Amino acid sequence: MTEPTVEEMGVEVIERIGAGKKKILGEIRKAIIGQDQIVEDVITSFFAGGHCLITGVPGLAKTLLISSLGRAMHLTFRRVQFTPDLMPADITGTEILEEDLATKKRELKFRPGPIFTNILLADEINRTPPKTQAALLEAMQEQQVTVSGRTHDLQRPFFVLATQNPIEQEGTYPLPTVQQDRFMFHLLIDYLPKREELEVVNQTTGAQVEDIETVMTGEELLEYQDIVRQAPVAEPILRYAVRVAALSRPTHGQAPEFVRTYVSWGASIRASHYLILGAKARAVLAGRPHVSVQDVQSVAYPVLRHRVVTNFRAESEGINSEEIIRRLLETAKPPKSGL
Amino acid sequence: MGKSGIDRPADGGGDLDLQAVLGRIQAAREAILAELRKVIVGEDEAIDQVLAALLAGGHCMIQGPPGTAKTILISSLARVMDLEFKRIQFTPDLMPSDISGTEILEEDTSTGHRFIKFVRGPVFTNILMADEINRTPPKTQAALLEVMQEKQVTIGGKTNPLPQPHYVLATQITLEQEGTYPLPEAQQDRFMVSVAMDYLPEDEEVEVIRRSTSIGEVELQKVIGGKDLLEFTRAVRLVALPAVLGKYVVDLVAASRPTVPDHPSFVGEYVAWGAGLRASQNIAFISKATAAMHGRDTVAAEDIRKAIVPVLRHRIGLSFRAEVDRVSVEDIIRRLLEAVPEPTAA
Repeated sequence: MTEPTVEEMGVEVIERIGAGKKKILGEIRKAIIGQDQIVEDVITSFFAGGHCLITGVPGLAKTLLISSLGRAMHLTFRRVQFTPDLMPADITGTEILEEDLATKKRELKFRPGPIFTNILLADEINRTPPKTQAALLEAMQEQQVTVSGRTHDLQRPFFVLATQNPIEQEGTYPLPTVQQDRFMFHLLIDYLPKREELEVVNQTTGAQVEDIETVMTGEELLEYQDIVRQAPVAEPILRYAVRVAALSRPTHGQAPEFVRTYVSWGASIRASHYLILGAKARAVLAGRPHVSVQDVQSVAYPVLRHRVVTNFRAESEGINSEEIIRRLLETAKPPKSGL
Repeated sequence: MGKSGIDRPADGGGDLDLQAVLGRIQAAREAILAELRKVIVGEDEAIDQVLAALLAGGHCMIQGPPGTAKTILISSLARVMDLEFKRIQFTPDLMPSDISGTEILEEDTSTGHRFIKFVRGPVFTNILMADEINRTPPKTQAALLEVMQEKQVTIGGKTNPLPQPHYVLATQITLEQEGTYPLPEAQQDRFMVSVAMDYLPEDEEVEVIRRSTSIGEVELQKVIGGKDLLEFTRAVRLVALPAVLGKYVVDLVAASRPTVPDHPSFVGEYVAWGAGLRASQNIAFISKATAAMHGRDTVAAEDIRKAIVPVLRHRIGLSFRAEVDRVSVEDIIRRLLEAVPEPTAA
C-alpha cells in the first residue's frame, strides 16, 4: 500500500480523467442550466465513490441531473420515492413463491428491489420511517443485501443520491446525525437566479433538447476511482485535513472558543476521511496529480455541513454550521507550502 | 498443575489440558491483535477488553461518539473468527419480532395442509451486532436482552435454542440526542463489560486517514473458530483467583456503594448507586480472561486493575453533584483503586 509516485501513475491517465470529466460536464450542460456547484460536487463524489445527501425543495432538477449523469456514463438509474408507508423490502427486494408450470414445483425466488442499480435516487428519504431508512443505509455501507439468509451483491459502481425536504416540513423523519455521517457530501440546492430560471423556461418550452451521449463507461469510472485513491497527498496536507475536523470537536483540547460555545457535536473521523478523498478526487478531476490545500478547503463545506451539529445557543444567535465551518477554515493554519 | 497453595476451580473441563489451551489463548490474542491492527489504529486497549469479554463468555457494550470505529471493531472481530455474524440497526420503529423472528402460515403443497412455521430472526447467529441499541423503544430492547439472558427464543409455546457460542455486541451513541431511549441500569447490567471508544489523537487519525483513503481492501485472516472459543471459555473458568485477590475484588466493588457504612468520602459525595454483585463476578471473569490472554493460569492484581474499568463503567451511577463538579465514572474508578489497598504478597 505504498503510495506510487506521480511518474508511476502516469500523468497521462490523470489528463485522461480531466478530459473525461469535461466531456461529462458538456453532456450534462445540454440538460441542466446553472447549479454549477451541485453538478461539480456530485461528479466529485462519483469519482471518490461516495454518496450524496441533497437538501432542497422539490422541482430543482435533481432527477434530471442524476439521470443525465447516468446516461453520460452508461449507468443504470432508478428512482425511489420514499413515502411514510415504504417498507425495507420495497427497496431491497423480496422472496416470492413461484410455481414452475411444467413440474408444478414451487420455489422461492428473489425479486431484486430497486437498489440493484448503479445510481439510486432516493427521493425525500426523510419522509420514510427509520427502519426503511436503515435498510437503505445498511445496503450502502455493506454493498450487499441479505434477504432470507441469502446475500446478494449490489452492482458496481453504486451511488446513492438521497434528497431531503428542508426540515420545516411536517410529517418527516429527520435522519439522525449518525446516519447522515454515512454520506460523503451534504449539498444544498436552492432556486436558480432569475436569469437562469428564464433560460430554463425558454429551453424546456422550446425546441427538443439534444440527446445526452455516453462519454464514459461504468468500468472506466471504477478504474478512475482507483486512480483517485492513488493520488499522493503530502503529509502536511493530511495533517491539515485532520486538524480541521479535530478542531470542530468541542471536547478537543485546543478547540477554539466558538466551537466550545456553539457546537454540541463535532465532525467524526469520517469527516477527515472524506476531506482527503474528496480533495483527491477534485485534484484528479482538474487534471492535477497533486492535492492542494485549496482542494481540502473546497470540499470542507459539503463534507462538514452535516457533521458539525450546532447547539441551541447557536440557533438562538443565528449561527449555523456553515458559519462554524467558515470560522474553522480561518482558524486552522494551512501548511505554508502546497497552496 | 497450578501453583502451590492456590485452589484451582473444580475441574469441569475433563480432558482439558489447561497449560496447552492457555498457550493457544495467548497465541490467539496476539494473532487477533495483529489482524485488527490492519484496520484499527490505536485501540489495543478496547480490543483487549472486548476480547476478554468474549473469552469470559459475556456480552459487550461499546460506547462512544459517532465515527470512532465501534462498528469496524465489531465487524472485524467477527471476520477474524470463523463465526456467523449478523447486524441489526436499531431504529425507533424496530419491533421485537424483527429481532427474534416471526411465525408464518405455510401450506404444504402436496397435502394442502396448512401449518405454522417459525422464521428465525437475526438473533440466531453467533455474533450479533446490535447497532445503536438506545435508538429503539424499551419493549424491543427488552426482547433482545431477554434472548441474551435465556439463550433461546420461545414463540407459540415452542423453544428455539440459539446457536452456541452466542454473543451480543451492542453499540450506544453517547451523543445526547433526541429520540433515544437510554438502557435502564438493570438492563445495562446484563452486559459484562462496557468499552469506551473516543476520538484518536491527531497523529493516529492522520495514520487512519492515510490508509483509508488509499487503494486496497485489507484482507483479514480467520484466526479462531467457534469450537476454539467454547474451549477457551472453559479454560478461562479454570484460571485460579487467589483468595486474597478475590477479597480485593469484593472490597473494591463494596467501596463503590454509598450505602455501605465505611465507604470512602468521595463515593458518598459523587455516587448515587454503586455496583452490584454481578460487578464482582464479572471483574473475576474478566481478570481470569486477562490472565489467560497472557498465558497465565493465575490471576494477578494487575489483571484486576485492568478489569475493573470496563466492568464498573456502566454499573456506577453518578450523583448530580458529580455532574456539577465534572467528575466522571472513570475518575471514581481511579479513586477507588487508590482508596482500596492492594493486597501485598499475593
